[in-house]
Amino acid sequence: MSMLEIDDLHVVVDGKEILKGITLSIPAGEVHAVMGPNGSGKATLSYTLAGRAGYEVTRGRILYRGEDLTALKPEERAAKGMFLALQYPVEIPGVVTLNFLKTALNAQRRARGEPEVDALRTLKLVREKATALKIGEDMLKRPLNAGFSGGEKKRLEILQMALFEPKLAILDETDSGLDIDALKLVADGVNMLRAPDRAMLVITHYQRLLSHIVPDRVHVLAKGRIVKSGGADLALELEQRGYEQVAAA
Amino acid sequence: MTALALKLNPSADLFQEDFAANSGDLPGAGLAWLDERREKAMDAYVMTGVPNRRVEAWKFTDLASELEDRLESTAAGSAPYIDEKVFGVAEGARVVLVNGILWDVTQAEGLEIVDLGKIDAKTPDWVCANLGLLASGPDQPMGAASLALMRSGVAVRVKASGVLNLDFVNPPLARDAVSHTRILIVVEQGASLKLLQSHSGAGTHQSFANIGIEFVLKAGAQLEHVVLQAEAATAIHVASIGAVVARDAQYRALYAATGARLSRLDVNIHLDGPGAHASINNVAVPGYGIADTTTVMDHAKPHTTSRQLFKSVVGGRGRSVSQGRVLVREGAVKSDSHQLFKALLMSPRAEADAKPELEIFADDVVCGHGTAIGALDEDALFYLRARGIPEAEARGLLVRAFLEDAISGIAGEAVHDALWRKLDVALAAFDGAET
Repeated sequence: MSMLEIDDLHVVVDGKEILKGITLSIPAGEVHAVMGPNGSGKATLSYTLAGRAGYEVTRGRILYRGEDLTALKPEERAAKGMFLALQYPVEIPGVVTLNFLKTALNAQRRARGEPEVDALRTLKLVREKATALKIGEDMLKRPLNAGFSGGEKKRLEILQMALFEPKLAILDETDSGLDIDALKLVADGVNMLRAPDRAMLVITHYQRLLSHIVPDRVHVLAKGRIVKSGGADLALELEQRGYEQVAAA
Repeated sequence: MTALALKLNPSADLFQEDFAANSGDLPGAGLAWLDERREKAMDAYVMTGVPNRRVEAWKFTDLASELEDRLESTAAGSAPYIDEKVFGVAEGARVVLVNGILWDVTQAEGLEIVDLGKIDAKTPDWVCANLGLLASGPDQPMGAASLALMRSGVAVRVKASGVLNLDFVNPPLARDAVSHTRILIVVEQGASLKLLQSHSGAGTHQSFANIGIEFVLKAGAQLEHVVLQAEAATAIHVASIGAVVARDAQYRALYAATGARLSRLDVNIHLDGPGAHASINNVAVPGYGIADTTTVMDHAKPHTTSRQLFKSVVGGRGRSVSQGRVLVREGAVKSDSHQLFKALLMSPRAEADAKPELEIFADDVVCGHGTAIGALDEDALFYLRARGIPEAEARGLLVRAFLEDAISGIAGEAVHDALWRKLDVALAAFDGAET
């Protein structure tokens, strides 16, 4: 079964068409990568999938587990099991990280008609997942992302992914701002979450993340269209030959 | 200039007439020292009259046009509805004023409380020595009027340490009315007071509460001051605070405003000795009216410090006004002051006016200020929603986060939670007041 089915997707931002007919299908259990140069529409694709206001779908559709997402709000998509790890997680001073995790977890559970979890149970759940990502309790007590290093922010994104257990995870430029050790830590976290009932879309500019998170398929995005698709080797080819040559071939 | 101001501002007559007709019947009339201070205060008031926009310090808040109607003075006697202790703090003394008139006093050890409505020749010396010297000059015209026309109030002296709940309760009035009330607090050397002050009200008539508050902090004294202004939507509320903070004394305040058609907190702090410190956190959440907090921080002596944080969340057609003037006098070296103004506009018609002002006449000082006014951060809102938090809840979370640093860190958890209960109600009403 297809977890995500994107069909001829056109998206307009500020009156300008950024995505010009994207077609893409990700089956459950697979990890797909979308690679593209700056300005190719990568961020637009991830924001559109998550339902951000201002990203207008003018043609085509997005099917998530067979359901058309286009009219759903971001919070509704999240409750249905979609997760977007942001390139730049937002700093929110005044909201304690652990409280945020509990609020988000319970908002999703409430929307699904599941019972809420109390603070103690949340803490236990978070602790289980946090250790592998080397996230200490002190980090959870700090305000959300405020003053976190690049690595800390990305680890917290992956912690949320582990906590919310999404069916579809979209990782937007998760490698940006990470040194080699942090990259490996984050990639290991993602790999642990690979599962037969979960699909992932890894959006990235560089090949290096894909050495750690090896994708089943690679798609090349250029000027708002998928211009080439292939196996994991395609990422290496891009790294060696550059986007222009591969896109033209 | 005086004559001109009077011509421009005919409503000045409102209080002048009251004074001319009734000064002989006011509490303490005939006490030479008090008569003299009342006369002097009336003269100070008359220099501007009820301030309008032509008075620089009131350029954003036109009190004169709001007070066009004639108002009669309130009298004691209406039955109060007494809120539970607003801040949920059981300890300490309690003073309840009903429509500006002293209603009830619950004494507590360590505090000496004097009824200013019954002031006479037997009134203790410390009252005569202090009453009416602050919040009564031409720079605080409404404070001056509150002294000249004082009908009621209390004077409180703290010798060691104590807690005082000061509750202004304003039940519905039968007609439009005005009250002039004075509060004097003297915190003796090395003593400390936690002052929890609330204003709550109901009713649809126009009420004008005019309150003058004096704080005398002797060397090493500490005053923690929390104000919750939750007046009725038709109320006009002006509180003029004058404080003298002596060597090594500290004034720490949190002012929160949620109600009133127009509220003005007119604060004048005089840092009067090395080591004197004042910190003010101001939180305003107007959803319909004007919430104005205007401060003058006077660094009169060397090695004085002040911190001011103004935070507003403005909804509907509400308006917040935040003005902070910092004055560093000649010779007040090593003065250290900082003020930060931040406002969130929650509707297209909301308005926030912020005006920092610095006047520095000394070298070797540190004076910083910053201002930021804007809407909720869309990136933050999207981030929270993408994690499953519904929009309204996400907005609430961000507004809370915005205000929290101004509300935490003073007077303990019970007060913190009580303030949030009132703020939550005010913020929840924004949606109904939209456009």
